[in-house]
Amino acid sequence: MNGVSPAAKAAQKPAPKAGRVLRWKNAGLFAVLVLLALPPFFVDDYIQFILDLILVYVMVSVGFNIVLGYAGQLAFANAAFFGLGAYAMALCLGRFHWPFAAALVTAAGVGGGAGLLVSLPALRLRAYYLAIVTLAFGELLRWGYVHASSLTHGSAGLAVPAAGVFGLHFATDRARYWLFLVLVALTLWGSANLLRSRFGRSLAAVRDNEAAAAAIGVSPALAKIGAFSWSGSIVALGGAMYALLLGRISPESFGLSQLLLHFSIVMIGGLGSLLGSVLGAVILTAAPELLRDIPGLEEILFGVLLIAVLLFMPKGVAGVLGRFSLLRERLYLS
Amino acid sequence: MAAQLVLSGIGQGSIYALVALGMTILFRVTTIVNFAHGELFMAGAFVIYALLRWGVPYPLAMLGAIVFLFALGNAVERGLMRPLAGAPHISLAMMTVALSYLLRGAVRFVWGGNVRSLPPLFSFAPVEVSGVIIDAEDLVIILSAAALLAVFFVLMRYSQLGKYAQAVTDSARGAALVGINVPAFHCLMWGVAAVVAAVASILVAPETMLYPDMGARVLLRAFAAMTLGGFGSLAGAVVGGLLMGVIEQLAGGYVSTAMIDIASYIVIIAVLLLRPAGLFGRPEVVRV
Repeated sequence: MNGVSPAAKAAQKPAPKAGRVLRWKNAGLFAVLVLLALPPFFVDDYIQFILDLILVYVMVSVGFNIVLGYAGQLAFANAAFFGLGAYAMALCLGRFHWPFAAALVTAAGVGGGAGLLVSLPALRLRAYYLAIVTLAFGELLRWGYVHASSLTHGSAGLAVPAAGVFGLHFATDRARYWLFLVLVALTLWGSANLLRSRFGRSLAAVRDNEAAAAAIGVSPALAKIGAFSWSGSIVALGGAMYALLLGRISPESFGLSQLLLHFSIVMIGGLGSLLGSVLGAVILTAAPELLRDIPGLEEILFGVLLIAVLLFMPKGVAGVLGRFSLLRERLYLS
Repeated sequence: MAAQLVLSGIGQGSIYALVALGMTILFRVTTIVNFAHGELFMAGAFVIYALLRWGVPYPLAMLGAIVFLFALGNAVERGLMRPLAGAPHISLAMMTVALSYLLRGAVRFVWGGNVRSLPPLFSFAPVEVSGVIIDAEDLVIILSAAALLAVFFVLMRYSQLGKYAQAVTDSARGAALVGINVPAFHCLMWGVAAVVAAVASILVAPETMLYPDMGARVLLRAFAAMTLGGFGSLAGAVVGGLLMGVIEQLAGGYVSTAMIDIASYIVIIAVLLLRPAGLFGRPEVVRV
């Protein structure tokens, strides 16, 4: 046994408390979830609406981060996925009178399909070219919402009826909060696991060096197609939640400013960090509410925050927390 | 009708060409795609508006816009872009997005979101030449744009400045090795790009509405012009801009007015999918 190096010894030794640590971790996560389910019992209607909105933007930015932070694709089609999800939800519920669950699945499916479509140019185009073509795609869709007025009522907007499932009715912001919380928790859990899988690692490989990834047998095409479809369906779910929350959607909600908001959330929270996206969504949804009486201040704040992130904390808020050991998350960033 | 449409298309297109030219100058030298260029254009218009409100005469107000934007361009390079030298595309793009937020926020903070307008710059009657009506403002825009473009081509081709630009575009490190101060040159080019945006706003602002979000529309048209002409090609930006204006007007005249808004998006998507190098661009070579 003398010939065995310490490293090998460490590898042989079974991790003693792995099972117990995992159990504690799961218990902790469950406790957090239970705590997060409590606010509707003691906040007022306005705060409740903001909390719902935060959950919508958590969903959206988690989806965007997969393409932007993990797969490293500078694609700006996020507002397009968001709008498609919202319109799919509104049409399925209000026009086709489908059951709620079917509408939700359809919205996610439409978003996934759009993601697949957008991933095709991503196979050929890089960096700015991809950014511009996806930007054009989003604006094209927005034009479509305005002009397909027999279906979408054009600029006037489309009403979204309240809906329910299993006898639960999501007619109030409180009821919707629990629904959104479940959807967001499931998405975060699923995404965290998927990002740790072989597929998730292939995304990071393609982002860091596409040629090297291809050389060791990772297919950049499959990674990109997968990332865009997955991101598209999550963001579209976020859009569906947004439609439910607002009760009325109109084309101008899904333009350039919506896209820039998503972009800022992901960047300020931290590229390539799921928890960063959660934090970014909380900060950038709550702060404008405090500043909404003074025109322009919200945009100035976003600008200043973005500049601060770029100059002083390149990994965003999540990176800063990680530096002080307040956040334990592998960022998989170079 | 076609002649009329083509003519007004060229009028619109020369504005797109100017905006695209400003972005291309910057892109060639610094490889930054400036998502805030529309906001620089907007800022120029609002500087003129502010100066006129203070009783400054029109010519001085225009000069003021040029000086202010040159200073702004320089300040942006020194304060925001230089610390990011060598950063990946995504960070550079994000910094220009931050700049666009700041400019829009500042203008909204001072003037609110209301739509404003400038007094007209000229008041000539439209001229009619063999059935085609020529708007005097359009003519002034076309001529000024052409003059500015001519100046640029001469500068780029024959002056020392143009040789510096070629050297820095070709290889920033090589240029630095032969004694060109590359950061200072980047700074100058930010100033020049901002001045081109100011010139565009001087020509356009008197005929259009002023509001904090007016830059987005111009930005997307300029992207279309650059894509069509070939990213990074100066001649491509100009030809692409003019073509884009004509395409919009023809699509609006012969298909439907709703097409005017999406002609540029369709052009972007079609060009990037079918011929990413555009009309004058060179295909991108990926070095492994």
